[in-house]
Amino acid sequence: MNTIELNKVRKTYDHFVAVDDLTFNIEAGSVFGLLGPNGAGKTSSIRMMIGITAPDSGEIRLFGKPFERKSLEKVGYLPEERGLYKKMKVIDQLIFLGQLHGLDAGPARQKAAAWCERLEISDWLQKKVEELSKGMQQKIQFIATLMHDPDFIVMDEPFSGLDPVNVVLLKDVLLELKAKGKTILFSTHQMDTVEKLCDSICLIDHGKSVLQGDLKQIKARYGKNNVQIEYEGDGNFLQQSKLVGAYNNYGNYVEVRLAAGADSQELLRAVAERSRVSKFELMEPSLEEIFIETVGKTNA
Amino acid sequence: MRNLWIIARREYLERIRTKAFIITTILIPALMGGSLFVPMLLLSGGGSSKHLVLVASDRHMAEVISQQLNRLKEEENEQNAALLSQREVPKREMPRAARFQIDIDTDTSAEQRQALAEKVKNKKIDGAIWATADALTARKVAYITRDTSSLSDQMEVASAVSHAVQLELLRSKGLSEADIQASQKRVEVTAENPTGAKNGNPVLNLLAMIFLVIVLFMSVLLYGVQVMQAVLEEKSSRVMEVMLSTAQPKELMAGKIVGVGAVGLTQVAIWIAAGAAFSFSSLAANSAQLKDLISWKVVLGFPLFYLLGYVFYSALYAAIGAMCNSQQEAQQVQQLVTIPLMIPAFLISYVAQNPGAPLSVAASMIPLTSPLIMYARIALNSAAPWEIAISLVLQLVAIYVVILLSAKIYRVGILMYGKKPTLPEIMKWIKYA
Repeated sequence: MNTIELNKVRKTYDHFVAVDDLTFNIEAGSVFGLLGPNGAGKTSSIRMMIGITAPDSGEIRLFGKPFERKSLEKVGYLPEERGLYKKMKVIDQLIFLGQLHGLDAGPARQKAAAWCERLEISDWLQKKVEELSKGMQQKIQFIATLMHDPDFIVMDEPFSGLDPVNVVLLKDVLLELKAKGKTILFSTHQMDTVEKLCDSICLIDHGKSVLQGDLKQIKARYGKNNVQIEYEGDGNFLQQSKLVGAYNNYGNYVEVRLAAGADSQELLRAVAERSRVSKFELMEPSLEEIFIETVGKTNA
Repeated sequence: MRNLWIIARREYLERIRTKAFIITTILIPALMGGSLFVPMLLLSGGGSSKHLVLVASDRHMAEVISQQLNRLKEEENEQNAALLSQREVPKREMPRAARFQIDIDTDTSAEQRQALAEKVKNKKIDGAIWATADALTARKVAYITRDTSSLSDQMEVASAVSHAVQLELLRSKGLSEADIQASQKRVEVTAENPTGAKNGNPVLNLLAMIFLVIVLFMSVLLYGVQVMQAVLEEKSSRVMEVMLSTAQPKELMAGKIVGVGAVGLTQVAIWIAAGAAFSFSSLAANSAQLKDLISWKVVLGFPLFYLLGYVFYSALYAAIGAMCNSQQEAQQVQQLVTIPLMIPAFLISYVAQNPGAPLSVAASMIPLTSPLIMYARIALNSAAPWEIAISLVLQLVAIYVVILLSAKIYRVGILMYGKKPTLPEIMKWIKYA
């Protein structure tokens, strides 16, 4: 059973193709990452999924049915560009947004209070939104997305602007929801989050899907031909080495991908000859690397 | 539908609780009423007495002119008092009326004229009337004053001197004092419409009409602009994005218009209730006259024309709010809507004097101006029922079209950020299915 299915979905604005024959499914109960550089068509795709705009062609099925507004009561959407009414009290705001999602005022109040307890902002219920810090406003927004207990949760850049403590807090909430069988769609640039949370991904660029599938399989496809090296001494030779396909210096360590057919042991010996190696680890490529490489290739 | 009411309810409750609502409820009628009626009160409440010097060749003529001047002033005071209340107040209890204090001088030398001019200049006296025998014969009298632009003073002086000359002429022909008195008696004119209904006191009627139309204009403008600002705020704070995931653009727009409009209607209801309480209380100078002035048509017409004008203009303002990105941008674009809304305010004095003229009738039919101008004509008892019917139908059609177009602009506009759309782009939005 798929929560949402996109089949050859296309959207153009004037002559600009925002989404170009996009096809993917999200399995119920899974966490899905919609990735892509700025302007790739992520938000345009999401807007079509929840009926803010209609596709020019192609088909979208939400909860197994063609789109209908009634289905939105089971969808929670956290837009990337988000805002709250500044002059409104937190509790009133949550009740209002809850009502728009189909709750009655009474249950909305209870749920809002329960969620605020869970996210440790109960003290702020009676305050006006403008008195809250940005992080707290984020949490309120988070609650507004989840309080009507949606089955399909769409989050556009959910962790931007949050401190690490709150990222963990919200991540735990999301994992809990996943355990309850909710479907979650992330749209983000933060690859480490996607890597930790997502079951499958779709990477889009210029409106087209350039890579999609199960995250583990995708990584396996790229193989364990990445090496992370920590060393003391001069490492610049690595850039010129025939053994190295791609080179990335992160300051404290470097990450290289072995050239086709190169042997990792040969590289280790080469590095050890010129510097003191403190760490040499063979690993799968990071999603970020896959992202950069795939997008770089399509742009080349 | 459910969403519409939730949105409208929020809009209503958030606004009605603000201090701004209470302030405008009191301030709009107070300011408008004040600017119209206070000058009148000042006028009748005594005003200042003017000190004049009257120069004539003989003392008798001077006294006749001076009598006439004071008689005119008294008549004027009585009229002003009558306009404000029809209570029969004994003359001695009347507020001290403005009078002329007149010194008579028979020195007609050029030096005297020079000296008087000097006195006027130094504010020793307020004016000098140079009514020498020569001047009277030539029918050209000089009035030396600092306020050469004060038309009413000049007319009073002219009228008094003319009267005096007439009187003296009649006396010299040997007419009896009684005949002369009779010839001088004022004729009163009362306007009636063809059905024979009197229009009450025309001046008061006019003032009341202007007062009501201006308050109506202020209400439409105030709440129309509030719709625009609410849309703009939702757009710039990005609340719009959150709302769109559950509500449709047309629900958002309609909810805004209904919610803000209800705030305005509440305000109108408060004004009507306050007005009713006032007219039934003993505070009202003369409730019969007030009822004469403000008919049920005028009372019911106010909320009706407020709604018609408001819905029409607020839909336009909502579209403007949706197509702009900031207050500054909207400032300029909103002129497109505000200027047509201002036209009735400029037309109102013309309509007041010529309510049946072709221009007035046309303005009361064209939907841009009709809510205010038709209401004005109704208040002046000049609109025929069929004219009112046509005007209402045209307005409803116009409202339907405007809402249709605005909803289309709104739907696309709220998702557009960045540059201000050009006119061709907006046309394209409207054409989207």
